[in-house]
This record gives sequence, structure tokens and C-alpha cells, in this order.
Amino acid sequence: MHKSFIGAALAAGLLFATGASTGASAQIKIGFHAPQSGPAAADGKSSTIGAEIARDWINEKGGVLGQKIELVIYDDQNRPEQAVPIANKLIGQDKVVAAVSGSYSAPTRAAAAVFQTAGIPYFSAYGVHPDITSGGNWAFRGVTLGGPQGKGAAKFISTKFPKAKVSMLTMNNDFGQSIADGFKEVAPKDGLTIIKEYTFGLGERQFGPIIASVKADNPDVIYAIGYYFVGGPLVAQLRAAGLKQPIVAAQAFDSMKLMEIAKDAANGVFVVGGMDRQRKTPPDLQPFEAEFKKRAGYDTEAVAANCYSSVMLVVDAIKRAGSTDPKKIRDALAATKDFPMLTGKLGYFNAIGEIYMPLEVTVVKDGTFVGATVIDDKTILAPPGK
Amino acid sequence: MLFVELAVTGLVYGCMYAMMAVGLTLVYGLLRILHIAHAGVFALGAYVAVVVANATGSLALGFALALVVSAIAGVAIYRFAYQPLLGHPPFVPMIVSIGLFIVMQEGFRMVFGAYGIAFDDNPWYTSTVAIAGINLNYVEIAMVISSVVLLVGFGLFASLTRAGIGWRATVTDPQMATSFGVDPVRVRYVIFLFGSALAGIAGALVGLLNNYVEPTMGGLVSYKALAIIVLGGLGNVRGTLLASLVLGVVESYGTIYLADVFDRDAIGFLFLIVVLMVRPQGLLGRG
Repeated sequence: MHKSFIGAALAAGLLFATGASTGASAQIKIGFHAPQSGPAAADGKSSTIGAEIARDWINEKGGVLGQKIELVIYDDQNRPEQAVPIANKLIGQDKVVAAVSGSYSAPTRAAAAVFQTAGIPYFSAYGVHPDITSGGNWAFRGVTLGGPQGKGAAKFISTKFPKAKVSMLTMNNDFGQSIADGFKEVAPKDGLTIIKEYTFGLGERQFGPIIASVKADNPDVIYAIGYYFVGGPLVAQLRAAGLKQPIVAAQAFDSMKLMEIAKDAANGVFVVGGMDRQRKTPPDLQPFEAEFKKRAGYDTEAVAANCYSSVMLVVDAIKRAGSTDPKKIRDALAATKDFPMLTGKLGYFNAIGEIYMPLEVTVVKDGTFVGATVIDDKTILAPPGK
Repeated sequence: MLFVELAVTGLVYGCMYAMMAVGLTLVYGLLRILHIAHAGVFALGAYVAVVVANATGSLALGFALALVVSAIAGVAIYRFAYQPLLGHPPFVPMIVSIGLFIVMQEGFRMVFGAYGIAFDDNPWYTSTVAIAGINLNYVEIAMVISSVVLLVGFGLFASLTRAGIGWRATVTDPQMATSFGVDPVRVRYVIFLFGSALAGIAGALVGLLNNYVEPTMGGLVSYKALAIIVLGGLGNVRGTLLASLVLGVVESYGTIYLADVFDRDAIGFLFLIVVLMVRPQGLLGRG
């Protein structure tokens, strides 16, 4: 326990030291912000480690355009009012050529506006709020938006469990609502019946009343939209209450903590938009998982993979642009085709920087996520325009 | 059937609220301090239980230490944070209390990691027993039993023993109690010791119930417990117990029947507002 604290202090010291010693030499600076303190610090820590692995591996191979890259990292505490000055600092003081957000929607949304005004390419690794990209053409997103994710889930359920009666359990925040909306839009057309939708808050850990009611509904499939820390207790309580129906869950169930919390009850849970930990492609996935575990002390979290791939993609765009001119980097990013992200193969970006990527469906088996199927449907997963 | 099941689920959660809120209301009754850091003690109990249980493999040892450590922490909070401030207006210790709670949350994060911790071995949480067709897991049963035993024990202590009567006298009239030889400082220590032990056990049980102990787990409970002690009539122990159970049940029904309109966590406050409009003195009046 203590070790991680000392480790963090050392890492912070080291970060400071490298920052100071390399200030003079020519480096390509890329901004990065994530919550390193406060309630969202867990994902922030994983995100930052993911981004740092990308930086280190790029630099080991000689960097880009003959220069090393430097990540300028700030703690945004998951607060929009912190993200704005950070964005200004990255642009004005640090002179970054591009920036990556390893943070949630609220700070990312706030910072996106600043980068838009300044004309610096900005990449949201996993923030899902639609407004992040809708403000202009300088922001890009590395994950599929909530709407298409929900539609993908409907497609998956209707294919695997045709004509199923579904009980929906939705987290009542932006993330949950947007996925639920997408699901509800297409579920009836796919032949699914939604019996009832239950909602719960981010802080919810006890689902007794909802479970009692779901039991009375007796659905064929339970579709749960929420984060792993809600999902773990939820899945365990559903199974303990004797509900044996298949559980299909949304992307944010993808955390190794799910299995730690729910134990055996997590087995068989499907995650739409999850990440198959056993996949052999792209070739850097398995080495990444090993390196992440070495640095973090725990298994790879999807947000870390998102941030790793985001930094890789931004650097790839710099290479393709052949320049550190932000405008050229933006154009190169926008022109990205078939880039191998760890979470799946990025197809293209639409006009406002929304990603098209096939959705992987994973299933929990023996304490890890393994691939179940891939939804690659250009119509339902098409990123929404402005 | 669903109706009954919802009531039972609500009562189980009400028991947890009761264990948490009794300490708060006792502290308020005695010192007029809103002891927000109580929620930090709740989380501390959960952390001690999970860390000790995972390290030694003994859940019993984890719970025993959770009880001892939270009781000591509560006393330490009184001694070092509140006692020096007793001459100040009540908002001063309250601000200290809020600060202390934030420090504790961030402390848990730094020491135990930003991700929460699950119990390695938590056999109770997936073992259920059906009572009259209603499934309860063993942790829920343990929650009900511990709250009943501890709170009844406390009730007997307060009404039957000399120390208990001295405590009640101190709450009613500190000067008079002192002149009869009751040591008010000792009473305060006993209150913090007992209230914090209860909160620690509640935290440990909630940790088991969720199978997840996280730095921020005290947050939501602290707000609810505040609503409960106001509902109960600040300082009134019986009112607080009643308010805990009522809130548990109201939330349980609200989750199913009102969720389209309100968040479950808003229901408690809505209930609070309604009750205060009708009965500003709380459900059973002030203690």
C-alpha cells in the first residue's frame, strides 16, 4: 500500500526532473490531462500510465520527425473549471502542438472549446459527451458515441436472443442516458420488447428494490448500463437473488474490477464495446498489457488502452503530416483511415471528428474478458453528424 | 409480493442508516456539532475490515479491528479536532469536520489506492436464504442482527446503568449533571467511542454488502445520515431510529415507483422537505 504512495511521489519527482532537464532541447510537446486526484483519480491514473507507455515506446524507437516527444501532463481533478486554465497553459505556456484528454466528459468538454478557439488539435480518448466534438473541427473522439453503442447493443441482443423481452437498468447520467436512447430507438425495430427501464445513480451500490421488481418482470435478457463499480455489485446481487437470465452490459463495465467485485457472478456477462484481453492483434496489445501491469501493479483497464492508442494516433498524424504545424496535424488526423487502436480498428473520422469503429462484444470467462463477437455494421454504428 | 419484498429491502437498508445516524445524533445532542467526519469513520471501518480480512484471511479479525480502530478514531477526532473548539460557535467545528472528512477521503485514496478494494473471500454475500419467499443474503441478515443487538444494547445501557443515566442527564442539563458528580468529559468520550464503533461496523458491513470498499463510500451516506437526524428531531435517538427505517422503506418504494421523476438519492431529501413542512420538529420532536 505504502509502496504505491512512495512510487507515486517518486514518479512525480521524476516527472518534474525530466521536465526541467529537457526544457531546452527541441522536443515535440503533446499536452495531456487526466484526473489524478479526487473521485475520478482511479481512471486518471490508468489513463496517464497508458499515455506514458505510448510516449516511452515512441521515444525508444527514435521519436517522430527526428525528435523525441514530451507529454506535458496536468491533473484536472475531473473538474471543468480546472480543465480550462490547463488548456490555456498547455497552449500559451507549454506550446503544445496537440493535446489528448485522458479525462471524463465534463473537463474534456470545457477544454475542447479552448483548443477549438486556439486551433490546436485535441483528442478525447474516452470522453463520451456529444458536445466534445460538436463545437468545431479541432476535436476528435477515440470511442464510439453513446447512441451508436446502444444501437449496437440492440443489434447484439436481437441476434443472439431473438424476440427477447428486455429489462433495462440505466445509470441516470449523460453516459447512461445516451446509450439508453440509442438502444430504445432501434430495439423495437429489432424485434425486442422493453418491459421496463429502471434508473439509478452513480453512487448506487444496493439494488434490492430494482432486483425485486426485475424478478417480478421475469425478462429474457437484462441490459445494464453503468460503470464497473456499479456493475460489480449489481451483477452479484442479481445472481444472488436467483436471476439466471443473460446479462448484457455497456462499455463501462469493462474493468478488471468487475470480476474482483462480482467474483464468479461476473461469468457470462456480455460487454458491448468491451476489449478482448486475449486478442493477438494489433501486435502491441499483449506487450502493452504486460507493460501496463508492470507499471501499474494491476491488469490493463480499457481507459489506459484508449489513452495509449490516442497518443499513438496523434504521433502517427504528426508523422503523416511531416510537420508540427497544428493545422497540418489536424488535417492528418481527420484523414486517418484504418488505424489499429488497441480497442479495435479505427475505420475513419466523420466531418466533426467522430470515430467509426466496429464494436467488440466480450464475455467474462474465467476472470477475464474474451471476445464473443464483433459488430461491424456501417449503418447502425455510423457516427452522428453535427 | 413485490410490495412486501420492497419493504423488507428498505428495512434492511434502514438498519444500516440507523447504525450510522445514531452516532451523529448523539454527538449533536451532546455538543451541538454536525459531525460530518463520522462518514470518514464509516469508510475507515470498511477499509480496516477489508485490508485485515484480505491480509489474514479472517473476516472476524477484520471486523473486530474495524470496531476497535473506528472507536479509537472517533475518540481521537473528538479529542484533537472538536475539544479545542468547544468554545467557538457550532459552525467552526462543523467546518473542521467537513475538512477532516475530505482529508480522510483523500487519505484513503493515497494509502489504499484510487481504485476500491474488494474482499478476496466474501462467502456471505452470495449466500442467500429465503424467508417467507423473500431472498436475503447473509450480509443483510448480519446487518439487521448487528444493528438490533447493538442498538438495543445501547438502549439498555442508557436506561438501566448508572453511566447511561449520567449520560442522559448530561444531555438534558450538563450543569446539574456535573454537580451530581457526572464527569461530562467522560460522557463525551463514551459517546464518540460508541457512535464511532457503530459507524465502523456499519461501514464494514456495507463493504461486505457491496463487496467493494472505495475512498468516497462515506459521501452519500453522510448526506443521508444528516437528513435522517434532522427528520428524527436533532438529538432524538428514538426519532433517528424511526427516521432511518422510514427513509430506507421510502427509498425502496421510490426507486421503483418514483424513479422516472426522482433519483433515489433525491427521494430522501424530498421526504425531508415534506416532513419538515408538516412537522418542523422532526418525526418525534426534538430530543
